Amino acid sequence: MTHETEKLDTTGIPVVDQLDVDVVPSRPGRAEGVLSRRVALGLVLALILLFPVIAIPVFSSYAYVLQVGMLTLMWISMSSSWNIIGGFAGYISLGHGVFYAIGGYSAGLALAHWGISPFLFLPVAGLAAMAVGLLAGLITLRTRGPAFIVATIAMLFLFLLWFDNWEFIGASSGLDLPLVDIPVRWLKVPFYYAMSLSAIGAVYLSYRVAHSKFGLGLRAISEDETKAEVAGINTRWYKVIAFSLSAFFIGTAGAVYGYSLTHLRPLTFFAIAVAARMVLMSIIGGRGTVAGPVVGAILIVGVNEFSVRQFGQTELNIVVTGAILVAALLFFPQGIVGSLRKSGRLPAFLDWD
Amino acid sequence: MNWVQILVLGLLLGSVYAMMASGLTLLFGVMRVVNLAHAAFILIASYITYQLFENLTLDPIISLVITMPLMFGLGVVIYLLLFPRIEGSPRYVEMTVLLTFGLALVVEGLLTFVFTGTFRSVRPDYVSTSIHVGNIFIPSNQLYASAVSFVLLIGLWAMLRFTKTGTAIRATMQNRGAAQIVGVNVKRISAIAFGTGMALAGAAGSLLSFLFPFFPGKHWQWIALLLSLIVLGGMGSIKGAVIGALLLAIASAVVTDTFGPTWSPITFYLTLFLILLVRPQGLFGAKLRL
Amino acid sequence: MALLEIEDVVAGYGPGPDILTGVTLSIEEGTSYCIVGPNGAGKSTLLRTIAGILKPRAGEVRLDGTIVNGSRPDQMLAAGVCFVPQDASLFPTMTVRENLVMGGYLLGDRALKRQRLEMVFETFPALAERKSQNAGTLSGGEQQMVTLGRSLMVEPKMVMIDEPSLGLAPMIADQIFEKIRGFRELGITVVLVEQNAVKGLESVDWGFVLDLGSKEFEGPADGILADPRIRELYLGKQLAPREPR
Repeated sequence: MTHETEKLDTTGIPVVDQLDVDVVPSRPGRAEGVLSRRVALGLVLALILLFPVIAIPVFSSYAYVLQVGMLTLMWISMSSSWNIIGGFAGYISLGHGVFYAIGGYSAGLALAHWGISPFLFLPVAGLAAMAVGLLAGLITLRTRGPAFIVATIAMLFLFLLWFDNWEFIGASSGLDLPLVDIPVRWLKVPFYYAMSLSAIGAVYLSYRVAHSKFGLGLRAISEDETKAEVAGINTRWYKVIAFSLSAFFIGTAGAVYGYSLTHLRPLTFFAIAVAARMVLMSIIGGRGTVAGPVVGAILIVGVNEFSVRQFGQTELNIVVTGAILVAALLFFPQGIVGSLRKSGRLPAFLDWD
Repeated sequence: MNWVQILVLGLLLGSVYAMMASGLTLLFGVMRVVNLAHAAFILIASYITYQLFENLTLDPIISLVITMPLMFGLGVVIYLLLFPRIEGSPRYVEMTVLLTFGLALVVEGLLTFVFTGTFRSVRPDYVSTSIHVGNIFIPSNQLYASAVSFVLLIGLWAMLRFTKTGTAIRATMQNRGAAQIVGVNVKRISAIAFGTGMALAGAAGSLLSFLFPFFPGKHWQWIALLLSLIVLGGMGSIKGAVIGALLLAIASAVVTDTFGPTWSPITFYLTLFLILLVRPQGLFGAKLRL
Repeated sequence: MALLEIEDVVAGYGPGPDILTGVTLSIEEGTSYCIVGPNGAGKSTLLRTIAGILKPRAGEVRLDGTIVNGSRPDQMLAAGVCFVPQDASLFPTMTVRENLVMGGYLLGDRALKRQRLEMVFETFPALAERKSQNAGTLSGGEQQMVTLGRSLMVEPKMVMIDEPSLGLAPMIADQIFEKIRGFRELGITVVLVEQNAVKGLESVDWGFVLDLGSKEFEGPADGILADPRIRELYLGKQLAPREPR
């Protein structure tokens, strides 16, 4: 990642001047990659948007394939968003399931009580999650390091307990949503497209943050927070904003997903496995990079589908998830994208930083 | 229920929480490890106790003699296998969180695989009896569990205070570099401390087995509670962990009595948030040295 | 035979570059030494490597003729090599007395510990006065005295001190250097690393000049101080004479 030339803040003091802000070291010879990168991006976007069309003749179990596609896009959305606070800023949150739930439930309630389609309600769901993120961030980000992680866990449990006991939303037995009025064969199509909006939005946000002064500041914070403060960065606001930004596309993902389930229950959103996967995907893919969480999401969804085929829907799945996480931390802490970049072998189409 | 009753019950439960929390704090204090898998290991011990009771009718309190050394050994092995590898990394503490998170998932999956998701509990005779002192009634299982916890806590304190190993552990908790300079073999001491923390987890598992029913997913509730407790008390402070545990348990008893059982964990997490707002380092924490 | 011999030692931190690029020197028993040189020369790194905190990537470290590469710090201490690092190496919530007693951690015998403690209090009367005070509340100079006193507890053959005067006011620093000179009287081999080259070299017999990770020069301490070329090349900034105003 190159450093922008504009490095002075409003008082004329150099910002992050002496700091080595490359969490993942940058590679020379960037220019050649740009064109192939654009082409690659275009191809990827086209693939995503045309997938439901392409898939019709190719796959026999069309609905299943679209479902997997939708889930992949969902996890891309979630892990890329989580990466903004967990990867760029280095603050590990295990409580992001809260935003997932807020998105799911706010959209669900809008549908159940006012008849507004979650597809239209998406941005509002995202905003709702972001608002909660702002408030929660103001409190949890008063702590650092491990205490912060614990605070996010407490946040998760607080919301879980609240939702589990709140009769208005159906408490632990949940809330039923009306079904979408489309023939079963094409049922998944709108969900797929809605989720792709969320995923594209999340990755785009991640990209914009990474290439901004804000993102630079976040990386500085993750490297050495004290130095960042001394360099003039308002660390408190940077962190809180990152935290709340990271909530938006998790909320939208939750809204679409909840609608696809047609029945909302707190445990679906608040389960620890949700946090586990967001974290795992970012780490395995490459924390702190833009492409990393995407790679991680695709990989883990793939592994999961494979493992379900092999072992059935059993608890061995979480053993596998946990084991992969442990192995990744011990042997590839930089993740796939990170390790590739470090050894100089990162193909241009994956270098989105 | 009268206030003395509430206080007594709170203190009894609190001593069990205190023992669980002190094991966890020890791990953070000595090795800067935030062990998200601590409650999962407690569960392992609970299941072992359950098997021993079902197959050999071994009293759960007696099974401490088995679970504690077993968990000690497991702790040393796990420590030596996993942690020295990540020791030099930047953001070591976070790595320990993620690593133990993964461990917790693995343990939970394996436990579900072996024991399924059915709720289990160990039911020796004293689960249904109680003792009357004046107009207070104390369930026997609570009494015995907290008596054992109390003994273990005293044992821990004595070990830390009077033995050479304990002194080395305390020194390492205060300043790892300085301990190394005066001749403490910090790697060995870290492994021993890890084993000790796990041994306490083992004891907790055996005791909890006859206090509350359990299933493989239950450890998340416990670890959330324990971690919050430690943050509340101030990370790395055993004293803070113990006091925090007692306060929590008493407050929990009060809230349960007044508002019903569902409110008590909510109140706790809300209190945690309030305290974090005002005093992010917890009640007894020093400024966090990462 | 020299007490400590270092031959072609190469060392660095973690996966980072070599800081020491091949250092060779020898330390004679009973002599006091000061290592000087510009920032980044590897002075602290050298002490750390000898102490066992850092493992050499190449070369040999020999104590009394035996190779001690890769020994742990506690093993080096048991062999009589004591390291006093530059950062706070005290136990802040323990008292002065407890900190000193910790210095005797490797000693088995309680009576011996008590005896040594007495000796330390005699050498550092200021510490005796404050023995029940929490070490974290002491002044910079007093803390430094605690770390020095603590090293005496094991009756070491050799004490290595990293930047003894760091952060101390000149008068206090002088007191510390006086104490360090006292170590030599006790027969302890002293190896200092000092940014304040003048003060450091004035307190010892022999000097090593380190630059870019290897030894550039060695010689009698006062000789180094007097030699204008060395001053200019390596000790320039610190020794620039004050212009009369």
